[in-house]
Amino acid sequence: MKKLLALILVLSTVLCVAACGPADTTDPNATSINVCLASEPQTLDPALNSAVDGATMCAHLFSGLAKWAQDEDGKLVIVPDLAMALVDGVVGEDGKVTYTYTLKEGLKWSNGDDLTAAHIVDSWNRAASAALGADYGYMFEVVDGYAEISALTEKLDENGNVVIDEESGEPVMVPANPDAKLNVTAKDERTIEVVLANAVAYWNELLAFPTYYPVHPSALDNDEWATDPSTYINNGPYVMKSWAHNSMITLEKNDNYHAADTVKMDIINFYLSDDANNMLANFKNGEWLLIDDVPVDEIKTLETEYPDEFVIAGQIGTYYVCWNVNEDILPEGNELTGAAAEAAKAEIRNAIGLLFDRNYLVDAIAQGGQLPASSFVAMGMTNPDGSEFYKTAGSADDDFDGYYDVSEDAQESNFAAAIETLKKYYTWDDAAKKFTNFPSMTYLYNTNDGHKAIGEYLQGVLASVGIDMQLENQEWNVFLETRKNGEYSIARNGWLADYNDPICFLDMWTSISGNNDVQYGKGAHKDLAMYNLDLTAYGYETKVENGTWAETFDVLISTIKSCTDNETRYELMHLAEDMLMETGCIVPLYYYTDLYMVDDSVKGFFSNPLGYKYFMYCTVEG
Amino acid sequence: MNSKNLLYIAKRILLCLLTIWVVITVTFFVVHAVPGGPFNGEKALSPAAEAALKEKYGLDKPVWQQYLTYLSDIVTKFDFGPSIKLRGRQVIDIIGDGMRTSAKLGLIAAGIALVTGVVLGAVAALRRNKIVDRVIMVITTAFISMPSFIMGTLLLLIFAVNLRVFPANGTTAAGLVLPVITLSLYPTAHITRLTRSAMLDVLGQDYIRTARAKGVSGAKIIFGHALKNSLIPVITYFGPMLAYIVTGSIVVEKIFAVPGIGRDFVNSIINRDYPLVMGTTIVLASLIVIMNLIGDIMYKVVDPRINLE
Repeated sequence: MKKLLALILVLSTVLCVAACGPADTTDPNATSINVCLASEPQTLDPALNSAVDGATMCAHLFSGLAKWAQDEDGKLVIVPDLAMALVDGVVGEDGKVTYTYTLKEGLKWSNGDDLTAAHIVDSWNRAASAALGADYGYMFEVVDGYAEISALTEKLDENGNVVIDEESGEPVMVPANPDAKLNVTAKDERTIEVVLANAVAYWNELLAFPTYYPVHPSALDNDEWATDPSTYINNGPYVMKSWAHNSMITLEKNDNYHAADTVKMDIINFYLSDDANNMLANFKNGEWLLIDDVPVDEIKTLETEYPDEFVIAGQIGTYYVCWNVNEDILPEGNELTGAAAEAAKAEIRNAIGLLFDRNYLVDAIAQGGQLPASSFVAMGMTNPDGSEFYKTAGSADDDFDGYYDVSEDAQESNFAAAIETLKKYYTWDDAAKKFTNFPSMTYLYNTNDGHKAIGEYLQGVLASVGIDMQLENQEWNVFLETRKNGEYSIARNGWLADYNDPICFLDMWTSISGNNDVQYGKGAHKDLAMYNLDLTAYGYETKVENGTWAETFDVLISTIKSCTDNETRYELMHLAEDMLMETGCIVPLYYYTDLYMVDDSVKGFFSNPLGYKYFMYCTVEG
Repeated sequence: MNSKNLLYIAKRILLCLLTIWVVITVTFFVVHAVPGGPFNGEKALSPAAEAALKEKYGLDKPVWQQYLTYLSDIVTKFDFGPSIKLRGRQVIDIIGDGMRTSAKLGLIAAGIALVTGVVLGAVAALRRNKIVDRVIMVITTAFISMPSFIMGTLLLLIFAVNLRVFPANGTTAAGLVLPVITLSLYPTAHITRLTRSAMLDVLGQDYIRTARAKGVSGAKIIFGHALKNSLIPVITYFGPMLAYIVTGSIVVEKIFAVPGIGRDFVNSIINRDYPLVMGTTIVLASLIVIMNLIGDIMYKVVDPRINLE
């Protein structure tokens, strides 16, 4: 027994010593910064990445034709990176637009290989391919040839019979043209020609998007290249020195980067944690100089304790509630059907949207510095003249921004107007100040304290006027599926922009879109011919009266996508948002903000409207 | 050990394999039956990409066929497949990375718990009802009743944020100190109490009185007879405890940002990363089954009177 005890003692000591290995040694003069954005990124392959933290890391590791940068006034702009210049496109007779870029001289990969135009072509084809299955593969939708890549066909078995999925009973679909390519060519080592299906206003911004970053040829046939520093070849400001999974990713300055002399920070340590409390502890004790998340309960305290270090930055996104367009909310015994019923429902949904006090919601409940929303296209999206898109949304006659007045003074009149509207359809008990025959509904949200608190607020407001709304929460993945399939009446929703163009808030609502949670143009709504679209004033022949959603909204979106005149295009986008908001199915609550903390010793840091953070030009003082 | 016992052990091993097979089968069908899928996201994947990915990971085939393929890959090739969400990484590597940290954390915590617990328990028993005993009992009761997330948060606040003695993240060796302490407190308290009650029981036995009567020295009685026999419940507890620590460190790993298996396990379920869910479940289930088996065998080793049949 004594031996056993001794053995245990020795074992414990050995384990303790083993745990305390030698510390990492680095050049003492190298500047470094410790930051924490989120937990382990799902991937650091720029083509596969779809997360904001992953995009930040990719922006430090890769360099595309264009990039985000700060100009002299501190304004964020898109500037050429690998390309000599961001040239204008040449519009052909068929409406297709050709861009010809010349790459800078002497571009290298981090391993010293030359970077050529062909590498970019191969990278783009890989990123867009169905076989890679990238979340953001559709970012290449604007490039000619993408339609062939994304086409589907029924899967056939060895005997040529259609394979049927056992669960759904539908045929199994597979990509129709696995070998289809984008219309992108390398004219020579340094010249790349891209043909877009039509003019795209946000093309330069796409060039700066991680999905458009080039990857080294060795990545094309190696699924695992992006998981290990030894196979991680890149072309950006940094190289990946180490990746301790779930723990830390260390980036070190890349001497082969074409603008290496502009990079100030030598080493960036991205710590990987998903616990906001832990992040805050590390920030408070000075180990991490930037943390990209804070505990919601602490926001008020941090605002006063760290006025200069706690940052509330704008983020292009909207938190909203969506209705299932097919949900029947009319009182029992009403005789409305078809278009008349849908028009009534739209009026009711819009009225209900006005009952909520968005100022109270953001100040007392969400508490993250969010701003009350009066439009679906988020704040931060701009018109061609640089003005805010949401400020010119809605009727031009009113004196507020967006589709309804969200100022604190307007709340009372909004509420009263909403009640008057609802009285047209439901029985109002004047003594109790409540509606008595509003059908019961269920509000669906994904399990999360923040969403729950908001749900409870909405529930409380509705209960105060006699509308019963139950709350139901589902685990995230189940929730996504339920909402996507339209198996709900009202649900929590949110949308963050991928690029700074309102179209990314609008094209998601076409009847064929995978993000169309409202179910526009699906189910009973599919055959409902009640929408009008008149584009004759904009120089088009399109004029539809009493058309279906597909015949109007879908057409409008495809018109916007092929519109070459920027002014018209923005007017059409306002028109599309008008159509959406008229249905009342989308109830914007607030515009998202990006909360983070950055130590005041850090200078030269900036972040872009998409939430990407840039550390390469940082210095740490003191 | 006689042949009867060997036969018993062989039987138990077979039972363990059966248990693991049942776990694999149930988990496989349950995880595939749960609504949602690995390709669900805030932003919908294009239908072509989803079709290509389903084909790539064999998810376009009927579930029973996927099950048979999975089982045969594990049995014949010990291949757990690639993770669907952590693109480019093999499940076995992800588990290996996580388990290394979790096991290190767990083993150190278990070692500390064992040594401290036995010593404290013995001291408490020998000083029964004295002030030392009372203090030890009060402290252990507190540690047993206090959940690890409270203990962890307290330690983090005091030692990492206020005093800044240890880092607040478990990415370095020094950063493991706080999580190890947090993890070891509950088992230490438990072992202390186990040792104390067992020791008190042993000290009241006739053979101890006989030894004392024969004039055997106090130390020899305690270390040679009393302690040895009072360790039986501790040793049988040790196996399951180790499994509990390694598998149950998810909360502690989260509080201290320790790169263990816990986060992968939880995320894999949220993401419906089927191969990773299966892999982590199998490894953790096997760990518990094996530790229980070792516990049972140890029971026999330390007390030959026990008949395993």
